[in-house]
Amino acid sequence: MGGRVNQQLARYVPALLLALLLLGPILALLVRWLSSSDDIPLLAFINAGTLLLVGKSLLLSCIVAVLASLMGTICGFLLYRLKFPFRGFYKILLLLPLLVPPYIFAVAWKDGFQWLFSNSTVINPELGMIIVHTLVLFPLAMLITGTALSQIHSGLEEAGLMRVSFRKMLVKIVLPLIRPALTISFLLILIISLSDFSVPAFFGVNNFTTEIFTQFSAFYNHQLAISQSFLLVILCLILLLSENRYLSDAPFFSVHVKGSSTKHYSVHKGKTILHILLWILLLVVLVLPLVMLLHQALSGREILFSRAWELLSPTIYQSAKLAFLGALLISAIGFWVAFMKERSHFPHLNTMLLLTFIIPSTVLGVAVIKFYNHPSTNFIYTSILILLITYVSRFGFIAARIIGNGIKQVPVSLDEVSRVIGIPPIKRFFSISIPLLLPAIFTAFVLSFVLCLGELGTTIMIYPPGTELMPVKIFTIGANAPLALTSSMTLISFGVTMIFILLFFLMGKLIFKRFRYE
Amino acid sequence: MNKISLEHITHRYGDNKVLEDFSFSFEEAKTTCMIGPSGCGKTSILRLISGLEAPQKGIIKINETVATENEKILIRPHKRKIGFVFQDLALWPHFTVFRNIAFGLKGRKTEKVSHQVTQILNLFGIADKAKKYPHQLSGGQKQMVAIARSLVHQPEIFLMDEPLANIDVKVKENILAHIKLLQQEFRFTMLYVTHDHQEAMQTGDKILVMNEGVIEAAGTKKEIENSSNHFVRSFIKL
Amino acid sequence: MKPFIINFILLAMIGLTSCTPSSDEVVVYCTVDQVFSEPILRDFEKETGIEVKAVFDTEETKSTGVMNRLIAEKDNAQCDLFWSGDPLRNVVLQSKGISTPYQSAQTDLIPGHFREKDYHWTGFSARARVLIYNKNQISSDSLPQSILDLTQPRFKGQFTIANPLFGTTTFHMAALSTVMGQAPAKQWMNDLKKNQVVIASSNGDVKKRVMNGDLAFGLTDTDDAFEAKKESSDVDYIFLDQQEGGMGTLIMPNALSMIKDSPNGENGKKLMDYLLSRETEAKLAISCAQMPLIKGTEVPDIVPSLDHIIPMKIDYSQSAEILEQIQAWLKKWVEE
Repeated sequence: MGGRVNQQLARYVPALLLALLLLGPILALLVRWLSSSDDIPLLAFINAGTLLLVGKSLLLSCIVAVLASLMGTICGFLLYRLKFPFRGFYKILLLLPLLVPPYIFAVAWKDGFQWLFSNSTVINPELGMIIVHTLVLFPLAMLITGTALSQIHSGLEEAGLMRVSFRKMLVKIVLPLIRPALTISFLLILIISLSDFSVPAFFGVNNFTTEIFTQFSAFYNHQLAISQSFLLVILCLILLLSENRYLSDAPFFSVHVKGSSTKHYSVHKGKTILHILLWILLLVVLVLPLVMLLHQALSGREILFSRAWELLSPTIYQSAKLAFLGALLISAIGFWVAFMKERSHFPHLNTMLLLTFIIPSTVLGVAVIKFYNHPSTNFIYTSILILLITYVSRFGFIAARIIGNGIKQVPVSLDEVSRVIGIPPIKRFFSISIPLLLPAIFTAFVLSFVLCLGELGTTIMIYPPGTELMPVKIFTIGANAPLALTSSMTLISFGVTMIFILLFFLMGKLIFKRFRYE
Repeated sequence: MNKISLEHITHRYGDNKVLEDFSFSFEEAKTTCMIGPSGCGKTSILRLISGLEAPQKGIIKINETVATENEKILIRPHKRKIGFVFQDLALWPHFTVFRNIAFGLKGRKTEKVSHQVTQILNLFGIADKAKKYPHQLSGGQKQMVAIARSLVHQPEIFLMDEPLANIDVKVKENILAHIKLLQQEFRFTMLYVTHDHQEAMQTGDKILVMNEGVIEAAGTKKEIENSSNHFVRSFIKL
Repeated sequence: MKPFIINFILLAMIGLTSCTPSSDEVVVYCTVDQVFSEPILRDFEKETGIEVKAVFDTEETKSTGVMNRLIAEKDNAQCDLFWSGDPLRNVVLQSKGISTPYQSAQTDLIPGHFREKDYHWTGFSARARVLIYNKNQISSDSLPQSILDLTQPRFKGQFTIANPLFGTTTFHMAALSTVMGQAPAKQWMNDLKKNQVVIASSNGDVKKRVMNGDLAFGLTDTDDAFEAKKESSDVDYIFLDQQEGGMGTLIMPNALSMIKDSPNGENGKKLMDYLLSRETEAKLAISCAQMPLIKGTEVPDIVPSLDHIIPMKIDYSQSAEILEQIQAWLKKWVEE
């Protein structure tokens, strides 16, 4: 009896604490919004104009999500399932657009277009936004679908190859099997694109997100901005909950392939074409923006790299430390939430992370300030804890999802047999669960690190005064610095992040080699 | 005609050499059972014949046509008219039993296909499972679906990699009897990998005993029983 | 037992990661560009020993920042002093009950119309709105001389202004509405649209487009123009409406406001006194060509003097009120 009570406590106390820390600000904001005494009736902002804007935002972001998912899936297949020289090299390089803030990517890419074609005005604003978002976000789809593709049991494909052509097998067997990965990468990209305002604002696109942003930044009308944000949140929630219920959690999607091998296909005839295509892609998504940034950095009256380094170097340690702690916390909490969902059938924490994920960054910032900016919680609000809580709110869902997919691959029987033998829970956890899930946890960690390192939207609203962080500094200095200085700082930030990615890649090679069971 | 011949096959996985200058011809329209300890190359032979892998050296001919030559797969797996029952069955989890079997048959939604699939399901006594998904079946039922899936296409060559490991004796005998009947009717060449030497002796027209990528003995049941090869005698416990 | 261990570990983490509040510090939220404001704050730190914890701002179209933070923190102020690049934001804070009056001893040095009558904000070091132009695209004698000239057909499609919903361009439009009247100002803006004005995302974007030669000229602030001249010899700038009887150029002073119920009020006042000084104005004149409001402040020759500029005669608080009235219309104007 006492053991049972302890078990319940062990499950519910941390869950309640997490809910309080992450969901508390959102719920408090919701209550405040609902009980607002302002003259504006609660849903008065919903009119034809608003709905049109919402529709436009959804349409643009859907196009981005479709294109990015398509590109990402193709790249995922090419790089995770084909055997050809330098694919590891392409894998890392094609992930790098994730490291560049979308706004800076937009500026660099537009300048690049101007430089090459002497005219950037031919780019329609909506097209510009779609292109930039697609190019920045497709690596996310590549990572998610590539990981899923790597976990399909070779037998399933081989059984198909015995019957039908390779192309038909891909379409009828492989794609349906990675449907959870396809849908989640589509939805993640949709939501991230929907929430970003810096790129639409740069291109002058008038959509719902820029409308919300205008209410915050031009009108300081928090009430209306929050109201509009909640409409966006409800839409995202409907999409994500449906995906959760009908697509990724459908019973036949437990593939249970841990311990078995994945099929890799050799490329014989098309190797040259493949390399050419990948290089064209690299040129557009990475080389052109980087070359432009370099061009901007070198085209000022003086070379400002040393000045940029002087400004940025104090932020590197702090940023890396925070990103590391954030990634650790996100991976740990993501693991726990995923485990509770997949094995303990306790999905509520996952739903909670989903809710905090879809809240626009500025609204989250306002919610966090209103909740934690209180004398009794000053010890949180004025310390880096506030940033860590925000990082978990922003990215916990992504980590939980990646690790959750990994857990789905592990047969329950592997844990069950050890229970029957009598191995204690903690030993089971560290000797069986963790080693089997280490690749997924590691992927979640690296992605979380990159996202935390570059997070700006909420960070800028809540970072403790006097704390110096890389993305914040680039944008605050960039407000009126020579373009050469901002570009130099961006390149340095990019270089620093790349160094971390390389280190993680090397570590990852060891982990994946040891824990792939091939 | 469904003769298979392997000529001077060398095949390795990384540093591990599985087959070294291996040559053998499998008799057409007969059942050859391959037995031997784990890792001796039985499954590798099936995978090479199916075209899923290519040897580093050697030629594989099907009906006198070169299908694979020295790392080059000249005839794609789905063109070889081969049915392959994998060791772990490889049932597609997102397809129903019906779809698992019908997949790849031309005109999937037609009456003809429906009839074909239903016929084979009836043969194995699992017609009532047609609309179920693999995760809703028992282990034995899954194996029957895997076998039915391979046979519905009327292959000329039928490869089975320990397909009946988890089935009870009566059901196993029943399935084998059905397969034998089908073989007599359609005259396909069957290669059957098993660990159970008794099952091999009962099922095979010819038995191939392998060890470390090399043929220790090949012959009929009687020839194997009379073999003086020390490995054969100790493996089969004669 | 396990939950208690978990809770203990959590508390220990909290203890380790919390900031120990410093006894001598001041928190300033600053919308003036960090490259210019930070060195002054560091000097204050050195001279007084009071640690300055600053929160800087980005360009408004890139992220929501300092203002929204101040508004959200209203119930438990973390900021002691708000340093803004123009007084409009300080008026917004005042209207929301976030600022508190403080009359610095330095205030007597500042001309009366550069502060709020109840000392909710006090101005110093000003920028002005200017026309920045690319010498390769347009000669100096072809330039418009008044802001009203921008509607002339000869300038069709050749010029740019920043999004009038954000930053100092908002202020400029509000000031024009104050001086000209709302209806004429709106008509003028509609005529700008007919003359194919290019709407840039920010003053920085205006600067960049003119520097690159994409457009012949644009409206921006003196510090942007000053930076542009440092980066490129192809650009220069003029003050508009300087003719006799003309409207004059909008002068935008920096503005300081004390925040109500702030944690380090006394240090905030010290910092405010420090900023409202000749020395600070001299530094800002050198770094970003800001024009001192305190007479007799020594400035480099390249920095224009307010004595030689005809200013637009406006009441800043009135402009802020008018802005509230025209904001919705400005939004429509941008979106159409």
